[in-house]
Amino acid sequence: MERTVWLSIVLTLAQVLLLIAISPGVVGLIRKIKARFQCRRGPTLSQPYADLSKLMRKRPVVSTTTSWIFTATPYVVFGSTLTAGLLVPMFASQVPLNFAGNIIALVYLFAIGAFFLMLAGLDAGSAFGGMGSSREAIIASLTEPAAMMAVFAIALTAGSTNLSVIVHKTALLDGIVADPSPHLLALAALFIVTLAETGRVPVDNPATHLELTMIHEAMLLEYSGRHLALLEWAAAIKLTVFLALLANVFAPWGIATTLTGTALALGLAAFGAKVALLAAIIGTLECMFAKLRLFRLTDLLGAAFILALLGLLLFYILRG
Amino acid sequence: MSWLTPELGAHLIDLGSAMLLLTCFAIVAQRRLSACVDLFAVQSLCLAMTAAFVAFLTGTKHIYLAAALTVVVKAVIIPRVLRRVIERLNVTRELVMNVNVPASLLICAGLVMVAFFITQPIIPFGHILTRDSLAIALAIVLIGFFTMIARQKAVTQLIAFLVMENGLFLGATAATYGMPLVVELGVFFDVLVAALIAGIYTNRLQDAFDSVDTSRLSELKE
Repeated sequence: MERTVWLSIVLTLAQVLLLIAISPGVVGLIRKIKARFQCRRGPTLSQPYADLSKLMRKRPVVSTTTSWIFTATPYVVFGSTLTAGLLVPMFASQVPLNFAGNIIALVYLFAIGAFFLMLAGLDAGSAFGGMGSSREAIIASLTEPAAMMAVFAIALTAGSTNLSVIVHKTALLDGIVADPSPHLLALAALFIVTLAETGRVPVDNPATHLELTMIHEAMLLEYSGRHLALLEWAAAIKLTVFLALLANVFAPWGIATTLTGTALALGLAAFGAKVALLAAIIGTLECMFAKLRLFRLTDLLGAAFILALLGLLLFYILRG
Repeated sequence: MSWLTPELGAHLIDLGSAMLLLTCFAIVAQRRLSACVDLFAVQSLCLAMTAAFVAFLTGTKHIYLAAALTVVVKAVIIPRVLRRVIERLNVTRELVMNVNVPASLLICAGLVMVAFFITQPIIPFGHILTRDSLAIALAIVLIGFFTMIARQKAVTQLIAFLVMENGLFLGATAATYGMPLVVELGVFFDVLVAALIAGIYTNRLQDAFDSVDTSRLSELKE
């Protein structure tokens, strides 16, 4: 008893540290891949770490017109994103915190962060911030139903909404997904949701500041110093968590199903490889596609919703 | 091949069919004509892979030939012809549609549901290999049919027709393990000729009307 409690605490801490440590690297990797496709050398993988440490040392400048929401938001966003990250299995299929929440909690933990970020965008009263918040609200209201439907399609086939159970069951089948057709539709939907939620290219361009089409960056415009560092870091963690979710729910190959040393080491290596592969895919896609016009986003996100809905129906009609 | 259990084989065929459905939706959501052609080529490749799996699992040799023909005709020759047609036209994307993209997607989802409900009573009588494929094949045929109605440009209508044919081929392969080889060869030849004729017809349309909008054809009067 005593030993399992300690083991859980150690695993939780390991996952927190892993998330915090590798997430800027994932962002750096995507930037590097994009740079190579554009025939540039690009910054090194450690550049996001250097940026964060520089920002951390700088004093934040806060407008006198802002309320407590503005200063609280970076901590709320960072905290909620990190908590969400603890619910997703990364290298071991059984997450210590799995009693605390399921896949629905995960969606709404991200929603808390997005909600506060929208409020903070409005709080400073600048035109850009309000614009960014309004756009983020449009996207959030379109992605949430798609995310929930995709999540339910996965949960139904596994018979549980708990992510640990879903991943553990799939991993014990030697990585064979129990029901491929609903899963494939849900995977496509969740991939589009990932691009929209993390502000990647067809939806938002993370590489631009001070551009009329920006969404996520527009809400961060008023932030500086360690507040900005926390928000950027939270965005990187969110990206990593979504990639881990995609990788481990649909392809849990190599994840540690037992808590032995070799299994954990193998799980860690497999996790790194899968996240790097997904980051490479996203980087490649960003070079292949142009950003969509804001009013065309409904086409893309509508498609995600329909696909997720079909995954759900496929299960209900054909298996029911 | 001890690892390839019938269960796993059925999963792989289901996965292939689901890929076909996914590309169908991508074609419906896509406005750029050249991207539609690429997606059709991808769909045909998925179809060939699914057919090859069916051939492998059932040991039916002539489906291999049908799969190879699918790759050659539908993934190489027809897309090449279509690309040439598009290059010659001065349209790159479908701007005005009879039904806009979100509404098309919703209607297509409805069609898929109809297809699922219709095939649901039949599926238990079938073989284990055809668990989802029959329902998905019918759904693809319906989506192709709808896309032909909903789009105005001749090229998109042609792609929708070919998508419909893909759905029929999937249904035939999955439900009955392929038609007799003679019939399949005939169908391939028909599709190829139909695509070529429609390509020429599209060019003529462009010459006559300076547009490939088929709704202009209603102006043809004595």
